Amino acid sequence: MKDTKTESAASFDVNDYLRQDRMPHFLCPGCGHGIALRALLWAVHEQGIPKDRLAVVSGIGCSGRLSAYIDANTFHTTHGRPLTFATGLKLARPDLHVIVITGDGDCLAIGGNHLIHACRRNLDITCVMLNNEIYGMTGGQVSPMTAEGRFTTTTPEGNTEPNFDACALAAAAGASFVGREVTAQVLALKTLLGQAIAHEGFSFVEVLSDCTEIYGRKNDLGASPEMMLAKKSAMRPYAYRNTVDVPFRPNALRTGVLTRTDRPEYGAAWRAMAARIRNEEH
Amino acid sequence: MEIRFSGSGGQGLLLSARILAAALTEAGLTVAQSNAYEPVSRGGLSRSDLVIGEGEADYPLARRLDVLLILDEAAATVSTGLLTPASLVLCDAERVTTPPRGPFRTLCLPFTETARTLGNPRVTNIVALGALTAQASICPPEQLLAAIVAQTPARFERLNREAFAAGLAMGETEPA
Amino acid sequence: MTAPSLAAAPPALTGRRNLEGNEACALGAIRAGCRFFAGYPITPSSEVAETMARELPKVGGTFIQMEDEIASMGAVIGASMGGVTAMTATSGPGFSLKQENLGYACGAEIPCVIVNVMRGGPSTGMPTRPAQGDILQARWGTHGDHAVIVLAPASVGEAYSETIRAVELSETLRVPVVVLLDEVIGHLTETVDLGAVPETPGIARPFATGPREGFLPYAETADLVPPMPRPGDGYRSHCTGLTHGPDGFPTQNPAVAAAALTRTTDKLVLHRARIESWREQATEDADLLIVAIGISARAARQAVKDLRAEGLKVGLFRPVTLWPFPETPLREAVAAAGTRKVLVPEMNQGQLVLEVERVLAGRAEVAGLSRIDGETLTPDEIAGAAREALK
Repeated sequence: MKDTKTESAASFDVNDYLRQDRMPHFLCPGCGHGIALRALLWAVHEQGIPKDRLAVVSGIGCSGRLSAYIDANTFHTTHGRPLTFATGLKLARPDLHVIVITGDGDCLAIGGNHLIHACRRNLDITCVMLNNEIYGMTGGQVSPMTAEGRFTTTTPEGNTEPNFDACALAAAAGASFVGREVTAQVLALKTLLGQAIAHEGFSFVEVLSDCTEIYGRKNDLGASPEMMLAKKSAMRPYAYRNTVDVPFRPNALRTGVLTRTDRPEYGAAWRAMAARIRNEEH
Repeated sequence: MEIRFSGSGGQGLLLSARILAAALTEAGLTVAQSNAYEPVSRGGLSRSDLVIGEGEADYPLARRLDVLLILDEAAATVSTGLLTPASLVLCDAERVTTPPRGPFRTLCLPFTETARTLGNPRVTNIVALGALTAQASICPPEQLLAAIVAQTPARFERLNREAFAAGLAMGETEPA
Repeated sequence: MTAPSLAAAPPALTGRRNLEGNEACALGAIRAGCRFFAGYPITPSSEVAETMARELPKVGGTFIQMEDEIASMGAVIGASMGGVTAMTATSGPGFSLKQENLGYACGAEIPCVIVNVMRGGPSTGMPTRPAQGDILQARWGTHGDHAVIVLAPASVGEAYSETIRAVELSETLRVPVVVLLDEVIGHLTETVDLGAVPETPGIARPFATGPREGFLPYAETADLVPPMPRPGDGYRSHCTGLTHGPDGFPTQNPAVAAAALTRTTDKLVLHRARIESWREQATEDADLLIVAIGISARAARQAVKDLRAEGLKVGLFRPVTLWPFPETPLREAVAAAGTRKVLVPEMNQGQLVLEVERVLAGRAEVAGLSRIDGETLTPDEIAGAAREALK
C-alpha cells in the first residue's frame, strides 16, 4: 500500500495538468492558492481521473482565476455562482467529474445560499473553498472569514464582525463529506482532496490558504512561511481526537476529515425516479 | 359566442368551463378560455370565460357576453358592464340574492337545491352546465356529457350524469 | 457512465388540443429538444416549471427546482455548457435576478432559453395581473453591451411555435433567447392544432469537430458562430465571463476585445433574415398603423376589424421577434402604404413606442397608448384612440 502511494506520487508531474501556455500565473509571491492547486491536481492524478472527463468550475476572485491554468474542461463563471453552474453541468453530464474552486467571499458571502443548498442536495460535486480570509482580487476588503480584530481596507479600525465556521456550516446543511486542511500540510491536503473527490455525494473542503501580499502585510503576519506555520500550529488535527485530551489547543480548529456520512447521491436518485416514470409510461 | 362562468372560489367554475371547452373543441370549434380568481383557493370572486368561434379569436377575452352564469352573490354585479340586450343571465336561485336585472333575460334556477337533493352540493356546477346546454344550445348534450365523464373522477360519474340530466331538464322546461 | 444519450424522443404531439400558454411553452421546448429545465416558483410562470417537472423525466430529461432565480439561471447555463439544451422560466422580479448570469450566457455565447411571463411591476407589483413592462428589460436587462434575441408570442399557438423557434435560434446561433409572454397569453387556454406546426429542420448546435491541437473555441468562422467544444470530446477549453479572445482566455488587448465583442453583435446582424419575424394585417393602405405585441396585439387585431368595418384605413404591424426589432419591415410597411400616423398600445408607460419612434424617425407621427392598472387594453380602447388620431 505504502509503495503504491510512493510510486504514484513519484509519477505525478504538476506540469502534466497545467496549461503551460498560460504561465506565468498571476498569483502573488507567497500566495497559498498555488500550493492548494498543486495538491488538488495531485489528488486528481491519484484518483486516475482523465483530464477530458474533468470539469473545473470556478467563481470570481483570486480562487476563480485558477481554473484557467488547469488543462481540463474549465469554466470560470460568475461571482458566487459556480455551484449553480456545476449543479446544472453535473446533472446534465453525470459522466464528468465536477470540481468547484471557490473562495471564502465567493462561497460564503455572495454564494452562501448556493452552498447550503448544494450541501443539502448532495449532488456528486467536490467543492474546494480556498479561505484566505479576505477579498484579495478587489484589494483587500473584509470577508465572512476575516477574524475579529483584523485590519482590511473596509475595516480600518479592525473587524468587528464574527466569522463563520465554514465546515460546521457545511456539515449542518447536510454535506456528506466535510474536511479542512492548511497549506503547510500539503501531503495531508492532497490526501484529503483525494478522499473528497472519491466520495460519492457533495464534498466540501476548506483549505486555509494564505494571502501574504495583502492580508499578511496589513496585519503584520509576516511572510508566507510565518503565516503558514502560524496557521498550522493553530490547528488541531482531527486524528488526535482520541489520543489527545481536550485541554490540547481547546479553541483550535480541527483539520482532516470532519464529517463523512452515507447519503443517497442526488443525481442517482433523480435518474432512478425518472427511469421509474419512463417504465410506468411504457 | 362568449360565455362566462362566475361565482366564488371552490364552486368548480374553472372545471365547468374546461369541460365545455373540451366538448366544443371536440365538435370542431376553436375556444379561448381565460380565468380570473382572487389569490385564495376557497371563497373570493372567481370566473372563467370562453370565447368560442370557428377559428382563433381575434381578441381572446370576453367583450360582450352571450351567456352569463352566476353561482354566487359575490359575482352578482361584476359582469353587468359586459351584458347586452341579447345576453342570457343564469343565476342560482338560492345563492344569488340580487340577480342582475335589465334589458336582457335573467333566469333564476335551483342549481344548488337540485344538487343537494341529488346528494352532493358540489355538483351544482354540473347541474348548471346542463341548464346552460339546454338554454344556449351550443353543443349536443351527449357531447357535453362525454366531456364531463372524461374530465371528472370515475367515482363521481353516476352523480354527474344525474346532475347533468337534471340541469338539462331544468333548462328545457324554461322557454329558450 | 457515458455521455448523455438523448435518444428518447418525446411522443409526437399532434391534433387539436386546448393548451395553456405556459404549458405550450414547455411542450414546445421539449419538442425542440430541450432536455434540462431549472426554475424557481413565481407567479404567473410556474406552470412552465410544473409542466417541465411532469414531462421531462418521460423523455430522459432533467428538471430541478433550484434555491433561487439566480441559481436556476446558473444551472441552465451549466447544463448547456455540458452540451444539453436547457431552458428556464420566470416573471419580472425573477427575470431581474437572472440578468447577471444571462449576461454571462451572452458573453460566453452559451445557448439557453428564458421564458419571462410579464406581470404588473415594479417590484412585487401585481403578481396575478398582466403587464408588458419588461420590453426594455428583455433587451437591456443585463449590464454592458450585448446581443440577445427576444420573441413575443401573441397566442397559445405561438407560445408553442415560438418557443420551438427560440430553441432553434439559441442553439444554432449560440445566443440566449427570451420568450416574452404577458400574463394573459401565459394563462390563456386556446385550441391549438399542434399538427399544423411544421417540423423544424435540424435544431442542432454546432459542436466542435476536428483537431484538438490548436483548437480555438471562439474562432471567427464565416457564419460568426464558433462551433462549441463539448466537455468530454477532448478539447479541454476554457470558458469565461471575462472578455476573451478566439482562444477563450481573458484579454485586455483592445483590438482583440473589440473584435470579440463586435462579433457577438454582428452575428445577429448577419443572421437577421432568420431571426426577424413579424405579421401584418390590413397594412397595405393603412393611414394609421398600430404596432403592438402580445395581448395588446390581439386587442388591436379586433380593433382593426372593427375600424375597417367603419371604413377607416387602419392596419396592424405585429413584431413577433421583438428584439432585434424588425425595423426595415416596419419602415417598408409605412412607406408602401403612405401611413401618416402610428399608434403603439402597450401595457406600460411607453417602452415599445420609443423603439418605433427611433425606427420611423419622423416618417410618420407616432403616439403611444398606455395602460398600467393591471387590466388589459381592450379593442374598444384601441379603436377609440385610433379614431381620435385619425380625426
